[in-house]
Parts: sequence; C-alpha cells; structure tokens
Amino acid sequence: MMIKRIIQRFWTIAGAVSVRAKILGIVLGFIVLLGAGVIIQSRYALTATMTAQLEEQSVSVSRDVAARAADPILLNDLLGLHDLLTETLDNNPNVRYAFIVDPQGQVIAQTFEGGFPLGLLPLNSANPNEHHHTVLIQTSEGHVWDTAVPILDGKIGTARIGLSNASMRAALSTLTAQLLLTIILVSATGVLVAVFLTWILTRPILELVHATQSVAKGDFTPRVPRWADDEIGDLADAFNAMTEELARADDLRRDREVLRRQLMEKVITTQEDERRRIARELHDSTSQNLTSLIVGLRIMETNCAQCSAQSKATDLRQVASKTLDEVHDLSMRLRPRVLDDLGLAAALERLVHEWQARYKIPADVVIQLSERLPGDVETAIYRIVQETLTNIARHAQAKSASLLVDRRGDIVRAIVEDDGVGFDINTNHGERHLGLLGMRERAELLNGTLVVESSPEHGTSIYIEIPLMDRINVLLNQEQQ
Amino acid sequence: MKKIILLLTALFLISCAAIPQTEIVGNVDLNNLQPLPTLVGYEAVPLRVAVAAVISPKGTVESYSPFLSYLEKKLNRPVELVQRRTYLEVNDLIEHSEVDIAFVCTSAYIQGHDTFGMELLAAPQVDGATIYNSYLIVPISSSAKSMKDLRGKVFAFTDPISLSGRVYPTYLLRELGFTPEEFFARTIFTYSHDEAIRAVATQVADGTAVDSLVYEYALARDPSLAEKIKIIHTSPDFGIPPVVVSPFTRPQVKAEIRNLLLEMADDPSAADALLAIGVERFVSIDDSVYDSVRSLVGVIPTSAVQP
Repeated sequence: MMIKRIIQRFWTIAGAVSVRAKILGIVLGFIVLLGAGVIIQSRYALTATMTAQLEEQSVSVSRDVAARAADPILLNDLLGLHDLLTETLDNNPNVRYAFIVDPQGQVIAQTFEGGFPLGLLPLNSANPNEHHHTVLIQTSEGHVWDTAVPILDGKIGTARIGLSNASMRAALSTLTAQLLLTIILVSATGVLVAVFLTWILTRPILELVHATQSVAKGDFTPRVPRWADDEIGDLADAFNAMTEELARADDLRRDREVLRRQLMEKVITTQEDERRRIARELHDSTSQNLTSLIVGLRIMETNCAQCSAQSKATDLRQVASKTLDEVHDLSMRLRPRVLDDLGLAAALERLVHEWQARYKIPADVVIQLSERLPGDVETAIYRIVQETLTNIARHAQAKSASLLVDRRGDIVRAIVEDDGVGFDINTNHGERHLGLLGMRERAELLNGTLVVESSPEHGTSIYIEIPLMDRINVLLNQEQQ
Repeated sequence: MKKIILLLTALFLISCAAIPQTEIVGNVDLNNLQPLPTLVGYEAVPLRVAVAAVISPKGTVESYSPFLSYLEKKLNRPVELVQRRTYLEVNDLIEHSEVDIAFVCTSAYIQGHDTFGMELLAAPQVDGATIYNSYLIVPISSSAKSMKDLRGKVFAFTDPISLSGRVYPTYLLRELGFTPEEFFARTIFTYSHDEAIRAVATQVADGTAVDSLVYEYALARDPSLAEKIKIIHTSPDFGIPPVVVSPFTRPQVKAEIRNLLLEMADDPSAADALLAIGVERFVSIDDSVYDSVRSLVGVIPTSAVQP
C-alpha cells in the first residue's frame, strides 16, 4: 500500500517534469546510485582489510616489545625500557600507548605523560603460557586493540600495547571524501553531457511542436529537418509527409470551396434573374393582358344591359380583378420592383408594411442608410429579412418584432428580433435548419456573418453583418480579372 | 525496481557486517591521566640475590629460578633476583648493601675484596673441583690455531673486568707484546659469556674468550654449537667464581645462608636447583685460592677499560 503510494507519487513527479529533467534524473540517479554502492563496498573492503592488519600489527608490535623489554627489565634499566616504549610509539603511528606491568601489577614503564589512565590496567592480561591476548577497548579516541604479551613467560611482567584505529578511520574518511568528490565531479560532467544530449534530443521535438502549432493554425509551409537517423528522425519524416498530404488536401478543399461558392453565386444570381424576369413578365405582360380582359369585360357589361350575360360578365370581371391582384402580389414577392427602383430602405419598409398588414403583428422598422448599397448586398439583406419575417410569422408566435438596418463605416448591419417562443439553435435538421443554412450561405458569400441568438421562450435575434470594403475590392478584383 | 532494492539491502547488510564484531571489553578515557599508586612495600623484606651477567639476563632467569625458589622456600621469605649489565654495577650493589648475596666473577671478587672487603660465602664445586678455565674459541671454519693468528680480526670481550672474558686474553696479548687496540681490528663487549659464544657462532666476531663453565653449559643446552665453534686454547686453572656477601651483611644472615648453601647437596629437594645452575654442591673456600689470579689481575688494569 505504502509502496504503491510512493510509486504513484513518483509517477506524479516524473510525469510533471520535462524530458530534460527526466534525462538529468536518470543520469544523476545512476551516478549517485553507483557512487553510493562503490563507497559502501570500498568502505567495507577497506575496513575489513585494515581491521585485520591492525590486529595483526598489534600482535607483532607487542611481541617485539615484549621480546626487547626482557633485558632492560632484568637489568633494571628503566630508562632503556622507557626509550624502547617511546621508540615503539614513535615508529608505529598506529600505536596509541605502550606500558609494562610487573608480575605484581605495578606499571614500571609507560608512554602516557604525567599520569596513567588507571581504568586501562585491569582490562587486559595474558596468562604465562599465552602467546598473546588481544581485546577491543572503547576509548575516548575510538576503538583500541589492546594486546598483552607475557614477558619471559610472565615471570618478569607483561607488555601491553594499544593500537588505535584513528588512522584507519582517517583513511576511511579520506577515501569517502575522495569518492564523494569524484562523484560530484562525475555528476557535474554527467549533467553537462546530459544537458547536451537532451538538447540534441529535444531540439527536433521542439521543432516538431512549433511546426505542429503552425499546421494547427493552417500554415502548411513549415518542414522539420531530419536531425538524426533515429526514431525522432523517422517521426520528422512522417510529420513532413503528413503535412504535405494535409497541404494537398487543404488546397483541394479550397478549390472545391471556391467552386462551390461560384456555383452558389451562380444559382442565386440565376434565381434572382429568373425571379426578376418572371416578375417583369407578370407585371408587363400578364398584368396588361388581365387589365385588357377586365376592360373588355366592363365594356361588355355596360353594353349589354339587361342582358343575361351581364351578371356573368360582372362575375368574370371580379375574378379577373382578383387574379390581377394576385399576380401583382406574386410579382411583388418574386422580385419587388421597388428594390431595383428605389433601393433597400424603401423595399424593406414596404415588405414590413405588407407583412404587418398580412399577419397583424406590430413591427418597428429603423433603417438608416444614406445611399444605395451594391445590388447583391441589397438583395442578400432583403432576402434574409424576408425569410426571417416569414419564419417569425410561421413559427414564432411573436407579439411584436423589430428590424434595424444601418451602416457603420464599411459594414452594413441588420438585426431582426422577435419576442416569440424561440427555438433550439443547435438543432441540425428540419426546415428551419435548412432555412438558416441558406441565410448564412447568402451572408458568407459576401464575406459577411450571420449570428442567431435564440433559446426557447426567450425570442430570437438574428444579426447580419456584411462588409462593404471587401465587397468593393472583390468587385474591383473581378473587374480587373 | 525490486531487484535494485534487494541489491541495496544486501550492500547495506555487508557494510554493517564490516563493523568489528570483536566484543568490547571496556571503556577508558585515555586522556584522564592519574598518578600511578606508589609502590607498596612487600610484606616481608626480600632476600636480594645478585647474579653477575655471566650469561644473558634471560638465561640467568631461566637457570636461577629453581635455585631462588629453593632459597625462598628454605628461608621462608621472598627472594628477589637482581641483575645488572656489568660486573662493576653488581660490585657497586654489594658495596652499598643493596643486595644480600651475589654470584660474581672471580676477578670481580678480587676487585671487590681488595677495594671494599667483599667477603666469600661459598664456592660452587663442578666436576669435583672449584676451578675453571678460560677457553679461547673461534668459528669452526677459522684457520686460527692460537691467539697470534687472530691478528687484525674482530674479537669479542665479555665484561671489562671478567677474568676469563677479558683479563686472560689481554694477558695473552701482553705476552705477545700487544694491546688489544693494537692487535685487533675491532673489539666488542657482549657483557655475557653466552652472548660472546653466540657472536662467534654467528661469525659476528672472529674470536672470543669465555668461561669454561658457561661454555660447557651452553654446549649442553645447544649441542649444535659444537658444529659452529671450536676451542683453540685453554688457560691454566683459575679459582671458580664464588658466592659473596657484602661486608655489611649481618653475621646471622650470612651464617644462615652459608649453612643452607653448604647443605644443599644433601637435600634431595635441592637437586633440581643445583642441576639448573650446573653445580654439584657448594663448598667453603679460602681467599688464598684466588692468589694466582690476583697476580694476573695485577698486571691487567681492569678499571682502566670501561665499555
């Protein structure tokens, strides 16, 4: 459980840092782990060896002193004895102390100056027949191997030599310090190398990231160089291939889009032209014929009074008049002449006026246009407003509606609002969805935008914005071409 | 991951095992120095026996231990063996009553007797006689036949006032018309006879003169010596090195020890002690036995040469 949590924590940290930090972590971790192992192993080996050596040295030095102390003791040469011990101390850096005890337990020569640590005396002794007797003593200066060797089978005393492990500890400290220094130096070098390697490793990755970001923004031009003949190099190649494929697909898509727009424009233009032609035909020819028919029927009505056909003529004239009105209305809806003759403002005012009259829904109209707009813009806005008003009448159950059209600089804006039931704009099927798509298509053909804001029970607002400058440029371009 | 943890654990355990497993017997502060307790006197005043360094100090201890133990037992008081490097130092100890009895060299007795009245206590008897000789010995490979063949060689003296070790060989040189300094390339002092034998056996010295008693004793202990050294000259008989007392030793003590020594040979329990020092028995001896030596010592100034 604990281990699982530790591993989880490790992944949290390891996952949050960059590749550079990970590689540095690997390098440093490896060096530190290796260094720690080497230090532990070296200390172990050195301690074992030096401890054995120290014990051995303790015995050999003690045997030597015991052998050489016999004559001075027998000859009562205390100065010689003291010199022997002092020499031993001087010649063996590990020897901490040396002293000679006579068979009565009296210290007759020793290397401590100005006194003697009395506690030391009873800690070790050797039987007369013993070669030596070594014990380990804890002292204020660390561990001391104390060896007692009987002199002349213990008849004249015992030599006691203490070997300190201070030099061993110093050697261990030195070794550890040197190894630590080595580890630090190796670590520093390792970090430098790792930084360099990481740079080599992450440079192509970072370039890939930049290139990907460019591609995401629609710029397919960047290509990633193949830095190395490895997996990342393969990735770079794959990325470049993908980008080329994307660029090709994008070109194709653009071409098709242009084609589609042209087609749409053509359709709309053709439709408008057709409507205009039919409207003119209805107005100029059909209306004139109907008017002639009505006039003829009135004459016939007047001329044959009391005639049985009189009432019939009256009926026919009324039918003809009604048909004439309907033809007018049809012509008007197909393509109001007023749009071509008087412009958008007059056309919209008339449209809204007739819409109010027909559907009995009050509407505010504010139109602020000082001059005529390009024909296709006028047509587009007119058609969008027309469609919107039709939708309101059909679906909104609105109590009122408003229309605002104005021009701000080079942008023409139109807002149509109602207080009806609204609808879910996310719906992507049905007649309204297709109607909205058509409206948006019209706006976008002119580089404009159409935004619908609506939600159930909160009415609907439609914002249309169409730029004029672009339109002018486009027109200019088209003319130039 | 688990393997790494296992490996680290193993390393840790190994490093722990490296800590010395020897049991610590105590804890001492080596810097807490206190004065050593002053030597408390022995319960009984020991009898102090000096043995001049005829043989090396260690050899003396080994040889005289049974003898001293016997004295200890018989006198019912502790016996302390006192040794000094030179004969003169032992003579000083006797003169100043720092030892009670002493085994000294013949020439040391003569000097002590003539300067401060050193007294004879008894003399050891070896092979039925109270005499000994000085042997002139050389390495077995040496071509020397007599003292005169050792000219320009290295010669080992024992003690400056040893009769057999210095006085007699110097006398021989004097007969040839030389002093040791003129005759030999170098002379050394070994201060004991067994060391002098060793010096020749190891060919550190080309010749030496030693106590015949010590020579026999050494050869008995180490028969291989016979293959390393040979005797090329034997001196006339000299009075054997005696057991002496200080002129200031109390007469009762003197008598008690003399009787003890003289009766030793009749006591079976003393046999080992006598055997260890190579003595058959102790006998009374008169100062006149040493008169022949006196004439020799008279012509060789012993006090003039110091180590």
